[in-house]
Amino acid sequence: MPLEFKTSEALTFGVELELMVLNTRDFNLTRGAPDLLSRLAKSPLPSEVKPEITESMIEVNSTVHTGFAPLRDELVRTRDGIVDAAGKLNLAVAGGGSHPFHQWSERRIFPTERFLKVSALYGYLAKQFTVFGQHIHIGVESGDDAIYLTHQMARYIPHFIALSASSPFCQGEDTSFETSRLHAVSAFPLAGHLPEVGSWDEFNRYFDEMAGYGIVASMKDFYWDIRPKPEYGTMEIRIGDTPLTVTAAAELAAYAQTLAADLLRHRRLDPIAPRYLVYGYNRFQACRFGFEAMLADPGAHTHIRLREDLMATLYRIQRIGDELGAADALRAIGDRADREANDSRWLRERFQETRNLSDVVRLQAERWRDDPGRAPPKAEAEAAKLRAAK
Amino acid sequence: MDLRFLPGLPLSLSYPLLFGVLLVAGMLGGEVARQLRLPRIVGYVIVGFAIAPAASAMNIGSLLDEARIFVDIGLGLVLFDLGRRMDLAWLKRDWTLAASGVAESLLAFGLVFAALSWLGVAPLMAGIAAAIAMATSPAVVLLIAQDTRAEGQVTERALTLVALNSLLASVVVTMLTASVHYEARLDLDTAVLHPLYLFAGSLALGGAMARLASLLGRQVERNPELHFTLVAGLVLAAVGLAQMGKLSVILALLAFGMFARDDRNRHHLVNVDLGPASRLFYIVLFVITGASLPLSSFEAAGWTAFAFIGARAAGKFLGVVAIAPIGGMKWRQAIALGAALLPMSSLALLLLHDVARLYPEFGQQLTAVVIAGVIVMELVGPVATQWGFRFAGESAPAPDALAATRPPAGKPAEPTKS
Repeated sequence: MPLEFKTSEALTFGVELELMVLNTRDFNLTRGAPDLLSRLAKSPLPSEVKPEITESMIEVNSTVHTGFAPLRDELVRTRDGIVDAAGKLNLAVAGGGSHPFHQWSERRIFPTERFLKVSALYGYLAKQFTVFGQHIHIGVESGDDAIYLTHQMARYIPHFIALSASSPFCQGEDTSFETSRLHAVSAFPLAGHLPEVGSWDEFNRYFDEMAGYGIVASMKDFYWDIRPKPEYGTMEIRIGDTPLTVTAAAELAAYAQTLAADLLRHRRLDPIAPRYLVYGYNRFQACRFGFEAMLADPGAHTHIRLREDLMATLYRIQRIGDELGAADALRAIGDRADREANDSRWLRERFQETRNLSDVVRLQAERWRDDPGRAPPKAEAEAAKLRAAK
Repeated sequence: MDLRFLPGLPLSLSYPLLFGVLLVAGMLGGEVARQLRLPRIVGYVIVGFAIAPAASAMNIGSLLDEARIFVDIGLGLVLFDLGRRMDLAWLKRDWTLAASGVAESLLAFGLVFAALSWLGVAPLMAGIAAAIAMATSPAVVLLIAQDTRAEGQVTERALTLVALNSLLASVVVTMLTASVHYEARLDLDTAVLHPLYLFAGSLALGGAMARLASLLGRQVERNPELHFTLVAGLVLAAVGLAQMGKLSVILALLAFGMFARDDRNRHHLVNVDLGPASRLFYIVLFVITGASLPLSSFEAAGWTAFAFIGARAAGKFLGVVAIAPIGGMKWRQAIALGAALLPMSSLALLLLHDVARLYPEFGQQLTAVVIAGVIVMELVGPVATQWGFRFAGESAPAPDALAATRPPAGKPAEPTKS
């Protein structure tokens, strides 16, 4: 039975953010999600908040947006709600791609039927999957566009890795990587990337074949870095660590939206195969060296520094960014690349200062809570909007 | 031939030997209890019960008394750890938590006082017994939380409420000692000055130790091993200083822990895990506590002891169940929390000890009632707390090593993350 691709309005977008649930004593992960979620269920937030594979994680799903600023504002409001509820339970919440010192064996599977099944199948991989990513959804009008965009976006995966990297520590040690989170993802048997199919029909044939072998039952069984999401009518980028602030998360989403607009407007016709030959290498380079990564360019047969490639891309899409209302976001991203100031660097600097990972996580939770400041109360915000309209 | 290199007879027992024997015997008792799915603590205490007659038969009863040093160290570690877990900011953010703490303490006090008065116990005696009844054993709750690896709201709230009611209990007991002074026809100055000295002195000692810890913590590298040594050393010193100064060990160590928690947000002191090392002292603490409980107290106390236990349990449950749901706790969680607050152990004995030391003649009956209550709660309390954490779904599930190796039946790979 072919997968049906539900179309959506092109270039609408939204994000999913996985977040850490921490105790406020030593800022280790703790079993706080069930209590936090049941408290949040009583006072609904603008975004949806859901359980994740272990009881030390929650996931925020934003609504669908067309512009950067409203997405950011929604995330700020959601964050405020989560922070308040967590405070009442003496829990803290933080961004960041992985917890720097937790022990995977201490995690507990969130007891839903689905998560228990996953745990039974994957063993320790399930608990080790207590890592925190940002997923960005970009709306597309057809399955063919989703396939096209997935292939094209593969070239920019290193940018998202370098910009979002926020997991330099693992099991209490500095990994020397900008992001260590992706290793937890790569361990799954169906990790990787979309095969070289050219259209939605062709993809459906591939899917049917895999389903026929009894390996997959739905799209969710593919743990790819980027994948079409037929149920939502989107292309989904799943490569990023959860940033340390909601602003950074919204900025990354705006960058993805602008890139997608550029790629849909100026269709590329170059062959797909070579870019997947360099894909794994470039991905590794970005994970390891961040903005300093040397990326192999299959077209030009040269290497280019990630930062320069990113700056050139930002320059190219600037005008489309202005059209989409993403100018502020793109400027912030350019600035971050220019100063090489991603979140991994921030975390390492905090470790330099404190020499203690508990303190690093405490500061990381404070940053999540305070940066940017609280949203004004709703009535006040509406009054301000009215004033601006006049 | 000169045989003076041989030890003289009869052989004299030494502290290291005593400590070692109590430790190993306690550990073995704990494992037997665990096999029976009981909390380890129950095993430690029963070993203590068994050791007491053996010790008196071997004529080493007094040595057991002198081994109080281990009890004080163990209790000092517990109280410090508890104080460190008490987050005043949390009490501010969620007023219902503070309210349920006050409610369960006051109700336990009120009901015990009423029950004992009704049974004809003199008001002041009933008051002191009721004040002691407010306290939950910090060592039991802390150790059960560790043993069952419990995590969640019930566990966190139980530990905070234990800190709160231990604090309240020792404050009320201290205040009542003022009345004891009065009753003993001492002059009014002493009746006022003594509790004041206990409060102010203990708080000042706790504050000074926390400040010292913070200062020293800043001098050494922020590595957990160094800070562990620092904290353990200062906790021992604080226990010693509190005893030297005739201060309240309970108040001083709780205060030390609370002040050390965030030293005015400077975070000079690493929040080290005292767990594994302090367990050595906890085991001995429970064994000695068990050994120091005369089972004959039941005869002396009679039914009064059961009134004491029943009124206390009712107060704790009512207080928690009335307030906790307002703060968004589920019924199940509120009941679990009530059960978790039942244990009574060495803290109650220490309070009793403090009162009895001041006025040895003060109430044989009071002592018997409280001790009989402690004996029952030493056994029922840990079971109740363990049940509570499990009932709330907060204990770690027991791993099933073999089940985990079998492939799951049925369908192909299901999704993990959407």
